[in-house]
Amino acid sequence: MLLILDILTTAAILFIVSIGLLAIFGVLKIINFAHGAWLTVGAYCAVVTAKIGLNPWLALPLAFVVGAALGGLAEHFLIRPLYRRPLDAILATWGLGIVVGQLITLAFGRDVQLTPNLLAGTVEILGVDYSAYRLVALGIALAIGTLFALTVERTRLGLSARAVIMNETLARSLGIDTGRVRLIVFMIGAGFAALAGVLLTPLTSVDPNMGVSWLIGAFMLVMVADASYRALAAACLVFGAAQVLISTFVSPILGSVAIAVLAALVLRISPKGFSRA
Amino acid sequence: MLETLPATGRAAAAPGRLSRAAPFVAAAVAALALWIAPLFLDTFAVNVLTRSMIYAVLAVTVDLLWGFAGILTFGQAAFFGGGAYAAAMILSAYGATPMGIALALATAIAAPALLGLVVGWLSFYHRSTPLYASVISLVVPIVVVQLIYAGGAWTGSSSGLVGFDVLPFEIEGYFRLAALVLITVTLAAWILVRSDAGRALVALRDNEARCAYLGLNPRRLQIVLTAALAAVAGFAGFLFANASGVVAPENAGFLFGTELVIWVALGGRGTLLGPVLGTIAIDYLSANLSGDLPFLWRLLLGTAFVAIIILLPGGLADLVLRLWRAFPIGRSGHAAPAIAEREAETEPVAADTPILQVRGLAKAYGSLTVLEAIDLEIRAGELVSLVGPNGAGKTTLMRCLSDGTEPFTGSIAIAGTALAGLTPNRIVGLGVGRKFQVASVFESLSVADCLRLARASRDGLSPVGRAATLSLPQAALDVLRMTGLDHRLDQPARLLSHGQKQALELAMVVALEPRLILLDEPTAGLTKAERATIGRVLKGLTAGGRIAAVLVEHDLDFVREISSRIVVLHQGRLVLDGTVEAVVGSELVRTIYAGGAHG
Repeated sequence: MLLILDILTTAAILFIVSIGLLAIFGVLKIINFAHGAWLTVGAYCAVVTAKIGLNPWLALPLAFVVGAALGGLAEHFLIRPLYRRPLDAILATWGLGIVVGQLITLAFGRDVQLTPNLLAGTVEILGVDYSAYRLVALGIALAIGTLFALTVERTRLGLSARAVIMNETLARSLGIDTGRVRLIVFMIGAGFAALAGVLLTPLTSVDPNMGVSWLIGAFMLVMVADASYRALAAACLVFGAAQVLISTFVSPILGSVAIAVLAALVLRISPKGFSRA
Repeated sequence: MLETLPATGRAAAAPGRLSRAAPFVAAAVAALALWIAPLFLDTFAVNVLTRSMIYAVLAVTVDLLWGFAGILTFGQAAFFGGGAYAAAMILSAYGATPMGIALALATAIAAPALLGLVVGWLSFYHRSTPLYASVISLVVPIVVVQLIYAGGAWTGSSSGLVGFDVLPFEIEGYFRLAALVLITVTLAAWILVRSDAGRALVALRDNEARCAYLGLNPRRLQIVLTAALAAVAGFAGFLFANASGVVAPENAGFLFGTELVIWVALGGRGTLLGPVLGTIAIDYLSANLSGDLPFLWRLLLGTAFVAIIILLPGGLADLVLRLWRAFPIGRSGHAAPAIAEREAETEPVAADTPILQVRGLAKAYGSLTVLEAIDLEIRAGELVSLVGPNGAGKTTLMRCLSDGTEPFTGSIAIAGTALAGLTPNRIVGLGVGRKFQVASVFESLSVADCLRLARASRDGLSPVGRAATLSLPQAALDVLRMTGLDHRLDQPARLLSHGQKQALELAMVVALEPRLILLDEPTAGLTKAERATIGRVLKGLTAGGRIAAVLVEHDLDFVREISSRIVVLHQGRLVLDGTVEAVVGSELVRTIYAGGAHG
């Protein structure tokens, strides 16, 4: 039972962390290596919220707005010149991540920051005591997933984004302002990443480099999901389960590389990853 | 055998004697300067620069992979760390006895090379993407670091290994050793990238598909390169372990891998001195400044990196080169090789075996049937035109004939050998040359280099120098002469006009000495004169009775003029197959083309 809860909540957290990266990769076809930096920015929004004494949950909207604003700037000044050089875009966003990380260090120091717990304690569920926060995270992941699905399937923006994903040239010739779609999607992606940063604060220590450790896992999941949020959910479940099971039964060290190794193998065998299913 | 023709264009003789020796002289001067440098430097500087020079060796390997062969890699850190750990572990166990040192050195090179083979195999396969190779190169250092953590007492886990015996050198000795290694590696890399084989690396970066369709095996090249440079990185790791006396998991980590890429990018990918000097300068400055302004320094570095990637992809070396070129002195330029004729090597196919035999070929994308029940036999000396309206399946048929990994049913045989499952480069080996619809050449190489690569699968490429002559079969020479390309051998292919690129690609395909030439709309977008030239070439080629050609063509006048036979495809089926008169006069063709194609 405990194991099942662990798997579900781990998958939920992975999904929360990767969804912003997925949106950007899907539409812009660019691997945003600044994703880790957005996570960190979000977590520091939680730190700031706590310092000025606001309700810790208020950090969520704040992080989304800050992330989206920074994302908009990054898209305009860094990403736009690199659309035709996707490998260089990886590097430029990685460089941006370094810059953001150092700016945070200059402002807050490099020490670990403490944040108030969003939700403390445990609840008893199906006979086991389980961290209340992890369960809430599961709920939040489902909410984000639903919101994302509705945006993609039901809104004009979602329609434009899907058009850009399928055939950007055609989309442009049909009068869709693809530049604007890219900008908005990048802002939303960065906003979601920052939001995820806040949600991570109860689970991990907050320091200027915290984003990097989450980046690789999220990146591998997105590569496997190949621009489909359903495939991302499936990948999070499968690889999250693998991570939990390997950590529990074999070794935590192997568990920590499980996602990266398994995802690489899946891609080697089936380059489209989970998106075919 | 080889009759050297008068060199065309600029005389290829005198210039360059001195410039060819220059790098060796420069290397010797650099070696001498670095040999005496420790006498004038303080201990701190000697120590830091020793490390910087070892890192610069790594930067050269990253640059060869990324700057020259187009493979963005973060994995060199893993091979470096692997070599360093192998050395440290063996030296801890056996001490710095001659035996221990030899074993440490051998393992530090062999283990990363083996790992490199595995990584290469994982990263490069038919239809793999550059992004996937980069993904793998990210995963490798992460896995290696976790293995180090899991290694317990063997690897010292998170605290690394210290206090093992090392080579019996003073710090000056290590400085000189690192300097010699760096100079040797850089010089070797310089020789490689200037050689004909070095052109193949650039060709791989420019146009991997064309490489495969010239019969080169891009996978093997990439895997061999990965393994060889992994070995070099492992050797650098061995030096590092000895010189620093400490190895830590960070030495193998993904972050170190990204740092290497940053140094190469700032210095100037695609040049050799740029990354070397960039790495030494940045690492040395880092060591000096990180004490006083640690965060600010990394902030500046990160900002500079982003700016360089966006604004100056060629790095600082590119800036220097641009300034240098502004001075109109000492321009030697590349002398074009002399071209020579060689005798044909293609063995004629036995008269009773058709060159191409297609039986019951069918292909579908999901529920959409693109080709069905195609039967076709083509013999030497035939020039078969494949006509039909758009969407008839002509290009799909060409693709099936040249890439056996395309899923199709039925059988295709080239001179009796079935090609199902074979990758394009192996099909080229069977004697098939394919010219694409959009001219596919190596944009950053010269015309001569493009042609040399076309010969590489037969003649090989020298990894140390440039051949002075370029010997091509008569037919390829004819194409060059008729189109005037023989006067442009030293020009980069990207400067050619559309028609010249088409002609160059045709010459490259002909230089392969194929038995069967596949041409997809070779005359699209060409002028009348260019069209006539290509027609003459094709007629001449097949007239000898050894070669067959299949061309997809829309221009029925052109088809009528040159073909010996016409095959009509319509809605995925072969509806007509006959002589020019029979097909052109047929009612069916008029109906398919709505009676409009010609009068």
